Amino acid sequence: MQRAEDREVDDKDDRGGGRPSLLTSTSASTSFNTITPTQRPPSKRKREGTHHEGDEGEDGQEEDQEEKGLDEEIMPPYKSKVRVLEEYHIIGFISSGTYGRVYKARSKLPGNTKEYAIKKFKPDKEGEVIQYTGISQSACREMALCSELSHENVIHLHEIILEDKCIYMVFEYAEHDLLQIVHYHSHPERRPIPEATIKSVLWQLLNGVSYLHQNWVLHRDLKPANIMVTAAGEVKIGDLGLARLFWKPLQSLYTGDKVVVTIWYRAPELLLGSKHYTAAIDLWAVGCIFAELLALRPIFKGEEAKMEKKSTVPFQRNQMQKIIEILGTPTKERWPAVTQQPEYNQLQTFKQYTNNLEAWYHQIGATNALGFQLLSGLLNYDPTQRLTAQAALEHQYFSDGAKLTLNAFEGQSFDYPHRRVSQDDNDISLPGTKRSGLPDDSLGGSRAKRLKEG
Amino acid sequence: MAANYWASSQRLHWQMSRQRLAETRNALDAQDPKTVQQYPLPELRHLSIYFNSQIARLGRRMQTRQQALATAQLYIRRFYTKVPIRDTNPYLVMATCLYLALKMEECPQHIRIVVSEARTCWPDVMPSDTAKLAECEFYLISEMNSYLIVHHPYRTLQDLTPVLLLTNEENNTAWQVINDSCLTDLPLLYPPHIIALTAIFLSVVLKTSLPQANIHAAASSAAAAAAAVVAANSGNSAGNSSGGGSGGGGGVYGASGQGPQVRIGKLIEWYAESKVDMEAVIDCTQEIISLYEAWESFTPSAEKNCKDQLCRMIKARGIV
Repeated sequence: MQRAEDREVDDKDDRGGGRPSLLTSTSASTSFNTITPTQRPPSKRKREGTHHEGDEGEDGQEEDQEEKGLDEEIMPPYKSKVRVLEEYHIIGFISSGTYGRVYKARSKLPGNTKEYAIKKFKPDKEGEVIQYTGISQSACREMALCSELSHENVIHLHEIILEDKCIYMVFEYAEHDLLQIVHYHSHPERRPIPEATIKSVLWQLLNGVSYLHQNWVLHRDLKPANIMVTAAGEVKIGDLGLARLFWKPLQSLYTGDKVVVTIWYRAPELLLGSKHYTAAIDLWAVGCIFAELLALRPIFKGEEAKMEKKSTVPFQRNQMQKIIEILGTPTKERWPAVTQQPEYNQLQTFKQYTNNLEAWYHQIGATNALGFQLLSGLLNYDPTQRLTAQAALEHQYFSDGAKLTLNAFEGQSFDYPHRRVSQDDNDISLPGTKRSGLPDDSLGGSRAKRLKEG
Repeated sequence: MAANYWASSQRLHWQMSRQRLAETRNALDAQDPKTVQQYPLPELRHLSIYFNSQIARLGRRMQTRQQALATAQLYIRRFYTKVPIRDTNPYLVMATCLYLALKMEECPQHIRIVVSEARTCWPDVMPSDTAKLAECEFYLISEMNSYLIVHHPYRTLQDLTPVLLLTNEENNTAWQVINDSCLTDLPLLYPPHIIALTAIFLSVVLKTSLPQANIHAAASSAAAAAAAVVAANSGNSAGNSSGGGSGGGGGVYGASGQGPQVRIGKLIEWYAESKVDMEAVIDCTQEIISLYEAWESFTPSAEKNCKDQLCRMIKARGIV
């Protein structure tokens, strides 16, 4: 868990030191060049547009006189019917990220003893006074998708409160997450994660991913920090801020978001610039998570090439290198469509490697042959041959050997530490931290700047 | 959810009976009868036609896809089942619904662009401050209980076009009828596939783009035809049910070489075999006919009346 004192490092994933993350503001493309079969002209009824050319001109002249009174008085100010502090007792602060902050809370309703994690999206700011600026694409997606989804392995949304220019998403509380669990075990005196736990976690994760994909939802940011585990050992996929529907999109997925998936978990087709990627990118990430649960460190720990210009996405050479060192060179035989990838030319410049995944698997001390089979199936270069979530769930790895349980912690003789909650910074109504009184992104911003300059 | 209409928020939270819809609207009016009386507004159908033309105007300025327009229109309709129209600036609400719909359909436009385009469309009634639109977005999402994902009939139309061997022309007409259904209460009342089946049915009946004046007559005969099926169907439902399972693709053939009557007959047969809720299709057909009737009476002066009444309401309420 991130320590509360670290929170001004404006990155919720910076718990293990230098873990990469995605800024979730990469969307908002405004181009409409892609033509898909769904494009049609708007309904054209005869009278629809008969008058408008005329009235634009004449009305335009009145503009200035009218403006003042209207802007002030037309609609009563928005007021939330529900107030977050009336409904919830805030236990403490959990973490912060680019999106805002997360708090642990309890309901004030008598008889409701459940705990919640309240994700507060911070409002964008223009100047000193916090203003309404339009809800980010990421928050919109998360609100819409979480309101719609319902599955035991996807984090459950309890309610959304829109109050005082802030969005509060109230989720069920999960005591652990995979990153925290990996960190716990990576302590030199501790033993690896028990196989039964890994098996249960992986199965539940795949079960959640399968549900998402059946419902045409791509997660696009699966990584250990986003996979929650409750105290009862149930896996809950969280953070749907980058998730989206992929049923016949109006424009290519790439047009919407140039960069998806945190670098270490990013599939090779994304690294090679594929514009029309598929649900298989989530399964690659699951493969990486599986490997990380076994090895207790990321399998492909590349260094991210930073975007220099907003418009151009750099080729992630180092990340590709890490993958090739373990999986070998992606040849036409292994991945027939590799030659059509936009960045295929870049591949030619790499040294040739053979597939060393099996050696890697043995070297980290893993022995289960079926586990290796499953891992190779998930880390298949060719997205069309990579295991689907459904196929992975049916893999023999889950039916053989230790019995599969739906409580990932069943039979464990130890307890994971609880999520750290900071008590002295639990005023959810403040825009920023208490110490500085500044909104936290300006704090993060100035810190980032300082780091750059220093 | 997204792939499954039956588990969607649209079906679970935003589908209602005609009666409940009417009661909801009456209750809204009853909240403040004085204001309702003081600021008369055009009948709902005319208002819907007016809103449609206005939001389409705004959409065209940003090359908006029809699907996003349809989403925005449904947002407007949902919002006004929760909030009295006279408490709002409908132009600001329209712009906000489109802004949010563009995000939800993954083709976002910057808030400043939406506001400036809306200002160009409605210079004397659209606030220029982006914060106003952003505030209205909170209001909108809150009233819709954050249920933002919408299922449209276009998808069923696309799926059924090859199954029913619809011609390009039929597909186009059906598409237009679906567009037109956004001007009605149908998206609040019926599942999208019923609306799509109605649109397909009308497209086959209406056939070779009849002149506007004949649409009414043709649509009426369509409704009559559909009613006949239901009558016939209830007589021998046992006989039909045996063919129901396998009847998927075979019932309808291409229009070439067949009289329109034969084709309509085949289509009706397919609907019957597929156990389509024909009562619902008839009801939808009638709703569409009513819309076309209202459209006939939506003269330029009726349109001006819409504009003037809204404008008067906004300005008078604004000064209050």
